[in-house]
Amino acid sequence: MGYNGLFQLPDELVLTTLAQAFPSREPQIRALATLVHPSAAPCRNLVLYGTKSTGKSAITAAVLAALENDDIDIDDNGSPGLKFAIVNCVECITGRHLFETVVGKVARALRWDGAPLKCETVSQLTVALSKMLKYTPRPDNFRFVLVFDGIDRQREAPPTLLPALARLSEIIPNITTVFIATSPPAGFLHTPFVSHIHFPNYTKPEFVAILGASPPTPLPNTTQAETTELWARFTAAVHDALARAASRILPSLRHACQALWPRFTAPILAGTHAPREFSKLLVAARVHFRDERLLDPGIVSAARRLQTPPPTQTPTTTTDPSTLTNGTVLPKPPQPTSSAPDLAALLPTTARLLLLAAYLASHNPARHDLTLFSTHHHGRRRRRGGLSVGVSGRSNAGRRSKHRKIARKLLGAHAFILERMLAIFASVRREWDPSGDEQQGMDSDTGMAIATLASLRLLVRVGGAGGAGNSDPMDRGGKWRVNVGWEVVRGLGRSIGVEIEEWLVE
Amino acid sequence: MAEVDETNTLVFQEDDHRTAYIFSPTDSAEHQAAPQNQNARPAKRRRTSKKGANAAEPDHEPQPQPQSDYHGGEADFPALFNGAESLDAVRLRRTTFETAWPVLSGRIQNVLRRANRKTLDEVALFMREAEDEAETAGGKIPAGFIITGPNIASQDLLFEQMAEGLSEATGAKVVRLRSAGAPNLKAVLKKIIRDATSRSADGGDDAEVSIGSDGRKYLNYDLEALHVFLAAHDSRRVIVAFEDSEAFDSGLLTDLIALFHSWHDRIHFSVLFGVATSVDLFQQRLLKATAQQLYGAQFDVVQADSVLESVFMGAVAGSQAALRLGPSLLQSLLERQKDQVAGVHTFISSLKYAYMCHFYANPLSVLLAEERLLTNELLQPQHLEAVRTLDSFKQHVEAAVDARQLSHAQSLLENDEYLVRQVLEQTQKRKDYMTQLLRSLHLITATGLHPGRFTDLYVSALADGIDLSSDVSPVLDSIRRLNPSQIIDLIHRLLAAISKGNPDLDLDGWEDQEESEELRSSLTEITDEVQALLDQSKLSGKPLKSKYSSQSKILRTTVVAQKVQLSHDTATLTEADKAFSTAVDNLTDLLSRFIHVDPIGSLFLHEAWVYDSKSPYRDVFVPRPATTFARALARPHDYLGCACCSKPDGGLACTFPTTSILYHLYLEAGALLNVADLWAAYYTLVGEESELALDERAALVRFYRGLAELRLMGFVKQSKKKADHVAKLKWL
Ligand SMILES: Nc1ncnc2c1ncn2[C@@H]1O[C@H](COP(=O)(O)OP(=O)(O)O)[C@@H](O)[C@H]1O
Ligand SMILES: [Mg+2]
Repeated sequence: MGYNGLFQLPDELVLTTLAQAFPSREPQIRALATLVHPSAAPCRNLVLYGTKSTGKSAITAAVLAALENDDIDIDDNGSPGLKFAIVNCVECITGRHLFETVVGKVARALRWDGAPLKCETVSQLTVALSKMLKYTPRPDNFRFVLVFDGIDRQREAPPTLLPALARLSEIIPNITTVFIATSPPAGFLHTPFVSHIHFPNYTKPEFVAILGASPPTPLPNTTQAETTELWARFTAAVHDALARAASRILPSLRHACQALWPRFTAPILAGTHAPREFSKLLVAARVHFRDERLLDPGIVSAARRLQTPPPTQTPTTTTDPSTLTNGTVLPKPPQPTSSAPDLAALLPTTARLLLLAAYLASHNPARHDLTLFSTHHHGRRRRRGGLSVGVSGRSNAGRRSKHRKIARKLLGAHAFILERMLAIFASVRREWDPSGDEQQGMDSDTGMAIATLASLRLLVRVGGAGGAGNSDPMDRGGKWRVNVGWEVVRGLGRSIGVEIEEWLVE
Repeated sequence: MAEVDETNTLVFQEDDHRTAYIFSPTDSAEHQAAPQNQNARPAKRRRTSKKGANAAEPDHEPQPQPQSDYHGGEADFPALFNGAESLDAVRLRRTTFETAWPVLSGRIQNVLRRANRKTLDEVALFMREAEDEAETAGGKIPAGFIITGPNIASQDLLFEQMAEGLSEATGAKVVRLRSAGAPNLKAVLKKIIRDATSRSADGGDDAEVSIGSDGRKYLNYDLEALHVFLAAHDSRRVIVAFEDSEAFDSGLLTDLIALFHSWHDRIHFSVLFGVATSVDLFQQRLLKATAQQLYGAQFDVVQADSVLESVFMGAVAGSQAALRLGPSLLQSLLERQKDQVAGVHTFISSLKYAYMCHFYANPLSVLLAEERLLTNELLQPQHLEAVRTLDSFKQHVEAAVDARQLSHAQSLLENDEYLVRQVLEQTQKRKDYMTQLLRSLHLITATGLHPGRFTDLYVSALADGIDLSSDVSPVLDSIRRLNPSQIIDLIHRLLAAISKGNPDLDLDGWEDQEESEELRSSLTEITDEVQALLDQSKLSGKPLKSKYSSQSKILRTTVVAQKVQLSHDTATLTEADKAFSTAVDNLTDLLSRFIHVDPIGSLFLHEAWVYDSKSPYRDVFVPRPATTFARALARPHDYLGCACCSKPDGGLACTFPTTSILYHLYLEAGALLNVADLWAAYYTLVGEESELALDERAALVRFYRGLAELRLMGFVKQSKKKADHVAKLKWL
């Protein structure tokens, strides 16, 4: 069946199959198919937009693949009337990379075997595409669909990129360019009329429908129907519990359901509840619904402990006691460990002292330095205790009510000059680490400690001429900032027997 | 021209070992003024001294100067004793060094490699299994977090082994990244593609990468190229190791992980992070979305101090170590490990440096050579003279005099042949000492009753010797408090220790040697005795105790006339208890007799085989440029050695170099220096009225140069706050 110039929608069967695969996306699927199909109403530029994980990429790929294989378009020569290439802009590092990827993909889709075409600019891209699509004889109804997925996230995109890509279809008549973006800005392509297809966020019934399309395998001694029904109610409950807070998007909701399902159904396996007693099950599983760590296991995932028998080969990795004791397959989420003791154990003494000095330099105003660190008048340093007595004759309560200042340790770290930090370091070093060696002043070990702290980003260089690269890191006048929080510093201080709070001026 | 070159090498070498230089511009001006005389100073001086003798004579003819330390050829070590040391002795020192160090270095490498093995196996296992697991976890990227500790530099070996091991275990390509070589996304991708494509066994054909199967060229940061390459090699996995992951820009990491994730269906990327602090801190720096793309597991490497301990055992304490490091040097090396960011590799280089210093600069180090090479002829009169100046020689002679061995003392002082014999005999004594030291240490460790680490035990043994009967040692006290069966266990442990030796220390068992005969038989005797007593007490049902055990002093509570009385029960030791007490006493006596070592400093001639000076090591490994600058500027005459500046009171003189004068003025000023004031102060010092009587122009030139130098050294910088002022940068 050849092209007869009549408006003809794509095969209904294809569309229904697609709509079943992607529940609650039927309008978008139909619109997309109509707007790219050669014998329907192919348009030149098409914008698909919608937030993350609303099925844009997946549906576009599925629709185009289905249309390409759909045999109503096979013409007399037996070659299909629609070809397509999808370029994922996120994978393209530069503009040039994008162009070359486009040419490569188009050539592959067309099984083009001419010489490889070089492509450094948009105009070269136009030339290359014209050569392949415009000046090579094609059947009348031939249409090429070029998809730019995530075009709004293209790196190093020249400002003219979008308008130029949009004009491709003006220059090459049988091409349709599809742009996928999260939200199209006004006047997106600088062309008068562009078709848009919106992929709205899913609503709760839609979520339930989508998740219901892939129910889990039936539980022991229950039927598939029972399991499916339980799953539907369960997903709705998960959505109610979590969608607001944590998992508004489909993949994370799906992940949450999968993570919670084994725990939710554990009473059924144990035989304590029947699958019909939904509310009892829900009450039993309530703790897990509140457990955030289940949903966000962090980068050290619990699943590892699930499969490897811990005693034999992983004594030093963090083994979870729960797997050892109960032996069941339910992984416990990793316990939150506080990082302070780790850091204290890791850093050698000098580095710890430097970090503390840096914290003080970041959080104490420079004008108090003399009072805090000078031994000149009193023979010993005064610390905060002495200072606050000196500052206020008023009663504590009265002072607090007058100006409510936010404690400095709750505020962000201020920048300080390296030399000031070193001066603080030198003045507290003796007192804090009496066992340390007698050598005073800066030596290369101190420099090394600073460099290490900087490479661990516990101290960061700020401002200045380019900060990171071009200025001398050991410049005594350089500005720095401490990059660890109060909790860590307090732990660090305690590890060498210093209450750092006493040294902070509030 | 070769001749001239050689002279230059000579001058260069001489300068190499000097700590201070005197820069005299007039000298070099003279050189420039006479370009036809291309020879350096020594040649010139010789010509004048020899009054125009043949100028073309070879330059390396023995020089009149005492420090002619150049012999050409392979003996690069200088001849010591002011050049009087014989070539044979020099060479022997050198070969001794060259045979001693590689043995140790090989051992150390072994220890280090072994220490990493376990971590490596775990990581390899994880990487092998993670692929499928990560797939089920929703296409996440497997990520290994290796907690390395802050000294990333020392983890080089770990990552090297990891790269080898992982590509073997998983068939993946491994790419190592360091933050310094990874400024941006493009550069990282280039490196990944370059490394992953060229490291394969058939490495030569990386042309295949840039030109795809369809003849297509790829940009060198296009992962498609990698994909094509991997497809051609039938593999899909690439492991990217971020060695110092904290130092990477977190934006870059986010981009990379997103990219890897996006490519996941074509190339299976896995990542490894070397984490210096903790995974939590690291995670805080990643976006939540990025963190969710990772599927990770945490691995710890062997703690740095236990690695240090094993290195120490093999390379410092072990019997293969030719040179002993002295206690004070060791102590400071160990402290540096604890206090500073200095990995075990710093320790190893310090060790090597100690070896180098000893064999390079100590003429007596030749005594460490193999015995068959040490002949009587080798020892020159200078060697003997050197021996006679040693502290340990004096001690030895004094001790001999005290012990009324007068002839021995006299021969040592006067009879060279006698001294040579004595010196050569010390080799055996040294070996005996070492054996005794190591065996004692080994036995103490075997008791398991010594708290603290081996390193500390070793250092204190060198410094103060080992004397179990002294009050400081806790070992005997602990033994006394053991109960009978523990005593038996202890003795079994000791016997096992004697028969097995200690492979970590390269100490063979000495069961079949007659020295151990007495110790072993006495130990066996004591066990038998205790065993018999124990059996008896089991029969009688009375517990066996010694006079030391706490049960012998029972606190008794008795109520007499409604008053509570506490009384110590001391008396009742049965016959068996007494016998047991004697056995314990015998044991402690025996041990304190056999486990006994003198302090290393008390040995005659220890200077020849113990290296214990801290200063060259500190100068090299912990330089303090700031202090050095400050000192040189404050007291330039110490370095210049000129008469004009060294006033007795050490104060400021106008003949000081300009920079130094300015530095003194700088020290007196506040945080901001008015340059005009500084100039005025300076000009009063050196101007027309002063001894120097510089005119204004000359003084101004010097002033500017001095100020520029101060700025170069980082003392001042241009102030933004006030015009015509410079800001003080150094506060200390
Ligand atoms: N209506 C739907 N039915 C089934 N699966 C869906 C649906 N919408 C999205 N998905 C799934 O959600 C995931 C994310 O979709 P994707 O197309 O990548 O989103 P987007 O491109 O909009 O960010 C994919 O695995 C996709 O299959
Ligand atoms: Mg997408």
